[in-house]
Amino acid sequence: MAIQIVREKIALGAVKKMAQETFGDMVKAVVDVEREVMAVGGELHADAEAVLLSDDSRQQNLWGINIYPEKPQAERIEFSALINIRPSQGNRSAQIQDVKLREQIRRVVSKLVGA
Amino acid sequence: MDKEHWQKLSLVEQLGNIGAEISRARHWEEKGDVESRAKAIERALDLLSLTIADKRWRLRLKEPARLYEILCDVFAGKNTYNVRLQMLENYLSPFAFAARRDK
Repeated sequence: MAIQIVREKIALGAVKKMAQETFGDMVKAVVDVEREVMAVGGELHADAEAVLLSDDSRQQNLWGINIYPEKPQAERIEFSALINIRPSQGNRSAQIQDVKLREQIRRVVSKLVGA
Repeated sequence: MDKEHWQKLSLVEQLGNIGAEISRARHWEEKGDVESRAKAIERALDLLSLTIADKRWRLRLKEPARLYEILCDVFAGKNTYNVRLQMLENYLSPFAFAARRDK
């Protein structure tokens, strides 16, 4: 499945379809918290990250998440990806540890994905 | 695992198979069987080495290479990245699903 850069809101149904085409219940995404866009799809978060880097994103603003479109909105995002391990930015785990950063990512995803 | 056979599998199949070894390692960890846990992780590292050596993925090595480092960290008991086998299993199990999806 091709990786798509989402710049404007897409329907939740479109995300469900992407999930069905790969991992079933989940689609991988990388969010640019500065530009407020995200790359969705692909097998590896690093692949989506590479697409955004080619689109002039800066790595320090890119964070990997998993979106579960069938789950209720409050549980839809999982903040875990190997690309998130970034000791230089204070994140020493695959999980995004900074609560404010998680909120920022939630806001971007809410802006880009329909309810 | 024969290298030639391994390098005919898709990336998703390769990572799914590695996930199976991680599931085994976690199973042995729960049972308190340190030796069997270590052997399962060693097998996972061997398979991941074959994946990293697979020329088809040469432009997509960032994540497999990072996974290798994390798994070595888990194997050595260092816990540098605060990653447990359960988390690795959660990361790899979707690949197993995706690999079997069209079969």
